Amino acid sequence: MWHIAKRELYDNLNSLRFALATVLLLALMLTNAAVHLREHPVRMQKYRDAATQSLDTLTSRTDLYDLAQKGPEKLYKKPSPLHFCADGGHSLLPALADAASYFWGGRNLKAFWRMTYPSATPNLKNIDPDATKIDWAFVIGYVLSLIALLFTFDAVSSEREHGTLRLMLANPIPRHTVLIGKFLGAFISVNIPFVIAVLMNLLVISTSSAVHLGADEWGRLGIIIGIAMLYLCLFLALGLLVSARVRQSAVSLVILLLIWVSFVIFMPNTLASIASRFSPAKSYDAFQEDRRQTRRAILEVYHTQREKTDDPSKRMLIASEYVTEDATQDGRVRQEYLRERISQVSQARAITRISPVAIAQHLLEVFAGTGLERHLQFVENVQLYAREYHEFIADTERSDPESPHIIGVRDGMSKKKVSPEAIPIFEDTLSLSKDFNAAAMDLLLLMFFVVVLLAGAYLAFVRVEV
Amino acid sequence: MLKTLIRRELLDNLMTFRFAAAVFITLLLVVANTIVLLKDYEQRLTAYNTAVQESHEALRAEKTYAGYSGTLVAHRPPNPLSIFNLGLDKQVGNKIEVYHAFVPTIWDAEKHGADNPFLNLFTSIDIVLVFQGVLSLLALIFAYDALAGERERGTLRLVLTHPIQRGYILFAKYISAMLCLLVPLLISLLLSIILLTTSTTVALRSDDFFRIGGIVLTSLLYVSLFYLIGLCISAMTRRTSTALMLCMFVWGVLVLVYPNLILTAVDIVPQPETQISVYNQTKQMWEKLDRENKQFIRNDAVLGPPSRGGEDMDAGFGLEGVEYTFWQGEDKPSILLYFHQTGLYAGKIKAESEPQVPHVQDYYDFYNRETINTVQRTWLVRKPALEAIYVKPANLGRMLLRFSPVGLYDTATEAWAGTDLEGIQDFFSTVQRYRRAIVDYFYDQKIFESRQWFAADKGTADWDTLPQFSFQRSDTGINAKRALPDMLLLLTMNVILFTVIMLIFIKSEV
Repeated sequence: MWHIAKRELYDNLNSLRFALATVLLLALMLTNAAVHLREHPVRMQKYRDAATQSLDTLTSRTDLYDLAQKGPEKLYKKPSPLHFCADGGHSLLPALADAASYFWGGRNLKAFWRMTYPSATPNLKNIDPDATKIDWAFVIGYVLSLIALLFTFDAVSSEREHGTLRLMLANPIPRHTVLIGKFLGAFISVNIPFVIAVLMNLLVISTSSAVHLGADEWGRLGIIIGIAMLYLCLFLALGLLVSARVRQSAVSLVILLLIWVSFVIFMPNTLASIASRFSPAKSYDAFQEDRRQTRRAILEVYHTQREKTDDPSKRMLIASEYVTEDATQDGRVRQEYLRERISQVSQARAITRISPVAIAQHLLEVFAGTGLERHLQFVENVQLYAREYHEFIADTERSDPESPHIIGVRDGMSKKKVSPEAIPIFEDTLSLSKDFNAAAMDLLLLMFFVVVLLAGAYLAFVRVEV
Repeated sequence: MLKTLIRRELLDNLMTFRFAAAVFITLLLVVANTIVLLKDYEQRLTAYNTAVQESHEALRAEKTYAGYSGTLVAHRPPNPLSIFNLGLDKQVGNKIEVYHAFVPTIWDAEKHGADNPFLNLFTSIDIVLVFQGVLSLLALIFAYDALAGERERGTLRLVLTHPIQRGYILFAKYISAMLCLLVPLLISLLLSIILLTTSTTVALRSDDFFRIGGIVLTSLLYVSLFYLIGLCISAMTRRTSTALMLCMFVWGVLVLVYPNLILTAVDIVPQPETQISVYNQTKQMWEKLDRENKQFIRNDAVLGPPSRGGEDMDAGFGLEGVEYTFWQGEDKPSILLYFHQTGLYAGKIKAESEPQVPHVQDYYDFYNRETINTVQRTWLVRKPALEAIYVKPANLGRMLLRFSPVGLYDTATEAWAGTDLEGIQDFFSTVQRYRRAIVDYFYDQKIFESRQWFAADKGTADWDTLPQFSFQRSDTGINAKRALPDMLLLLTMNVILFTVIMLIFIKSEV
């Protein structure tokens, strides 16, 4: 078996395609590194400036009522240091969630903050032609898969054409050993240029002082490379399968390319666009109408209750109830709308899993900490933080025995100064275990595809007539 | 003889599996994507229609002329030909204020809201993109064994024993392959046009069919170029499998890698500095205007006293009956935009303020005239600066893209469809002309100095006689003119490659 693998390897190393693949991969990976080194510091600086500014505003408040009413300001999504692995539609996803209050509450009343989820601000200044970003996801998803097919399309069929397959099988070697040997040979020969390119890329990135990669990031990079290998196996198996089934190597490549073009280039986006029509989210106007009605209903209840009594302390209670109810209900409608929009996208993305490139893309995004999954984790972090913040307000309020404990009106709340250290601070963290949960389905599916295709290639090769 | 050769080649090509598979895949992709794009177009059209209706009503609700700021909005309709090549049609803003205090440009525009912006994660695939990927691949697949295969099998030697010129053989191969490649191109285009015409929302005019014709012609040149690239490789290599492998690498580089690589790499080129000096210059001009305003008010016997306007610039001028005063402006250093305007709205001016009114009218006459002059002056510096910051780098990317046939094809079809930068700029120049027309109308009708500019008590603004905004896409002739350079380049490349192949083939040993 090793003998066969070695023979394949030597064959490939001397070939033109090996040289071309190396040049191509190196050029792509080095461009990727150069662009990352240029863009990442700018991105980080922008994030840091924005986050510091909003934190400063938050910690400058000492009055508990102000803290409770104005909220924790804007919360920003932390850019991933592994951005070069997968861009994940960075500019198409919102970079922040807004937890401030600029809402009208009613006469003499200020509305409380609630979490709002602004949409991504599209870069309308951009008049460049449309292009896919050169990230690892592009290199692996498109270029590596194409190279894998170019290395395997003639693995079996050309040997059959030349008659060398017959000679080889005349030796006492089981067929599966031949197949595994060929598979290994191709795997190693594609990996050589790929690994070289990856190492060059990482070398450039890690030696620069602009980008710092920690232990966690290196672990993630390891996983990403593992996924790339798995994905590579899938296309090698596909190549072997078609190559074993088809008599002529040219026909084999034609079939492979047509499969590749439709599955890799066109299928993901077209399928997703079609699928997203099946479960349309609420329209923006309907959402605004919903909000308006919810808020109006709460305001009406407040007015009628307020009419009933003249007692100032009771009125304060009613006002407090109104303010809290308004913030929670409005926040709920907003969250619901966000959930609907996200589920529409997630469903559309689920359907694209037919295409292996979409799976690889999702996996890379998850482990690089970019893309939609990352955004969902950010939203989750934001919501957790909102809860923590609410609890903090309630706890501080409770700890002051002199206050009347009516959250929502200035006179009903603690007058004690709040120290800036006590205020909880938003931290946008990424957890690897959560990422694994998000990726489990895709990982299993990818493995399943690999196993099925390998089994298919084996069956096809065993039954092949020499 | 040529006829026989062509017939043979044609039959050879048509009866193959690759032909059937390619036709099937092209049709499938084109139809599926046309449906997606059609739905998308319909959505954008609905958004456009609602927006037009809304701004129409919003403008009618304004009682004073000064209220037109922010409510007089020009909307850019989606281009039906964006189904063929999306270009910048969806990317760039489609909603722009028309106001005398700034000159509208592509960078000032906003966008109609979308229901679910997350869906932008999925890129739209237009028909040209499908052709770009599939037809080029198909052309190479047809070409790789045209010469190498015949040489391998020895049939080339047989053919050449006949008294035929080598050029004829090449020509026959070329013609028959192009005929075969036309089949998926035309059928899929036909299907997509049928889909377009059955949709009630897309109204294709007769000149749109000329434009589609232009797109077909460009596609033909593009496909032919790829066929010739394949043929060239085939003529140079001895074995079909090497030819095929080389073809695929060339395809991967030209179609997949080069365009994306070059556009990503352009980002490494240092961006031109946002010309902050231009922004400061603009701001200074506006400050000068402010000073002149203050001077004007101070010099006015009635408005002059500090209680009315004077020193602290109270925009209400102490008029009894003013409901609100407003300050409006933009301050965006990144697009070198700076302007501000003050104004007031009076529902009913009380009798005791009546003597003041002519003075306020005089003031607004002066203020608006000076504003327009200032805008004109700022525009003289802002325009070239914007070009340098935004247009030049974008055009650099486009220029580099042209080294690949894919880039040429994309820019030429964009030009035909009118979704290229110039096509979009057409809209914004129309808006600029419209702003000019509004200003002229205001001058002619003496609106800047009228009472209706700020007060709604003696007659309100008459919006019906205001010039209407209308935008027509440019003539087919202009589209053709824009597409021609790229098409000519494609053609030249075709001719050069054909000559090269001829030379190689004539000198090659069989």
